[in-house]
Amino acid sequence: MSKQPPLASDPQVAIWDIHQPVGRRSMLLAAAASLIGLAIAGYGLFTAQGTRTAAVPAEDAALVNNVPILRADLIAQITALYSVPLAQTTLAQRQKVLEDMIREELYVQRGIEMGLSNDDIDVRQALVQATEGQIAQDAMTSKPAEDELATWYGSHMEKYASEGLVTLHEWLVPRGSDGQQAVAALRKGAAPASLGLKTTGRVDDGEEFYFAAEQHLGEPLFAIARKMEDGTVSAPIPMPDGLHILQMIRNKRPVTTPYAQARDQVLADFLADKVARLQAGNQRFLKKRADIKIASDLK
Amino acid sequence: MAVRLKTRSAVWAAVVLAIAGTTAGLSWWRASAQADVLRADPDAILRDPRLRSVALTNGKRVFDKHCAACHGPDGRGDITLGASDLTDSDTLYGTGSVAQIEEIARYGIRAGNKHGWNLAVMPAYASKVPDAAEALPPQSPAQIEDLTQYLLSFTGRTTDVSAMKRGITAYTKAGCWDCHGRDLGGDPAIGAPNLTDAVWLYGGRPEDIRRTLQRGRAGKSPAFARVLTAAELRNVAVYTASLAHPGQETK
Repeated sequence: MSKQPPLASDPQVAIWDIHQPVGRRSMLLAAAASLIGLAIAGYGLFTAQGTRTAAVPAEDAALVNNVPILRADLIAQITALYSVPLAQTTLAQRQKVLEDMIREELYVQRGIEMGLSNDDIDVRQALVQATEGQIAQDAMTSKPAEDELATWYGSHMEKYASEGLVTLHEWLVPRGSDGQQAVAALRKGAAPASLGLKTTGRVDDGEEFYFAAEQHLGEPLFAIARKMEDGTVSAPIPMPDGLHILQMIRNKRPVTTPYAQARDQVLADFLADKVARLQAGNQRFLKKRADIKIASDLK
Repeated sequence: MAVRLKTRSAVWAAVVLAIAGTTAGLSWWRASAQADVLRADPDAILRDPRLRSVALTNGKRVFDKHCAACHGPDGRGDITLGASDLTDSDTLYGTGSVAQIEEIARYGIRAGNKHGWNLAVMPAYASKVPDAAEALPPQSPAQIEDLTQYLLSFTGRTTDVSAMKRGITAYTKAGCWDCHGRDLGGDPAIGAPNLTDAVWLYGGRPEDIRRTLQRGRAGKSPAFARVLTAAELRNVAVYTASLAHPGQETK
């Protein structure tokens, strides 16, 4: 049998003595706990995002049907409109801009009520772009670790190569002449003019980037040119307008940019890839949770 | 015995009440000061000792967590990422006001937010299509060298005067003036840097300039609108502005 603590004769003493069980104290503590609980719940209820409040929060300039207009957005609009710092604008100017922003918010809300997102093609496009943009924003707010970037660079090194450079001549063999003989003579150092060769004029500007040479020569000739070594002459190449000969002066092939120099581009590409993956994942998720019914003839 | 119990309990109750009161008072003071920071003209905060103290203390925490990874813990930037030096007086976007810094922190630069600063990129002139948004002519290696020599001339580093002279024409023909201006002074409304000073976002060595001209640049700054609260955004903007204006409070 457990021993019961003695009951105090003086109730004023007993209520402060935690060794004495007193019903009144229990009631008081329960009431205090209830009040604290209610206060916490009330704070959470009335300060949560989207809560209807009587006062305008400090960060907002106005609430329109409880949708906030940010002070920061208001300041940006005021300074953009009047081209002076906020401190130099008058209250009337600020109120005018705020009035315009409230009007815009009202029309946006009315547009949503009217279902413009279903009907208006511009609203729909803007919503799609904004949703995609939101995913991109979320992806960019955390910087990838250095080893993630280095790994990305390692597996996409070809993207970070410099553009190749080429200096060459393109000769056109006169009709009726022997292309093989012309090539042999060029390889021995003969002057092109002495062989009756004429330039096509397409690559006479000196050194140019690979992309430019490809554009000037066309894909088939450039494919041959990019494999040629410095100082070499190609075999005669039959083309619709006759035989062509390529004479390579200098071919500087693309060189991989070291990681340290390509870091900004690596970060941009890494993030772009992350955004693309997140958008694809988002699309899969949206499809998965959606109830999509397709007509039987279109399945 | 009863009196002693009463006294001890009263002392404990007083201590608890004092702690609770102090905590509540401090919380109220902090909330009130933070609300004042939010309601104030952003560019007046650094001149008000009370608001400045609140914004800087809280802003540093946000900066360390979200900005230091690219801009460095001291805000001096990183040229390998094109993250700007926040401690100098040179600003790429806008004039460096607290309000504009807050806008960049909230909506970003090329970060997918339409409120952000997304107007222009540096074209990649060593490519078939230098700029997807605007028809610009690709440049040959010689023209890129001419442009490089021209840009080096503003800091007295030209090594080929005739190339530098050709670069003046190339600057116009390549369309550089459209963003950087006829005077090469840049345009802070679109983030086009001044090309005549010694401040280079991606490094100012001849090889850095050549690479910028050849491959283009399009640095990004994240949009923290959905990550940070309005108070955090304001605080970090004030803190960032303070890095460039450390003596503002004495003015």
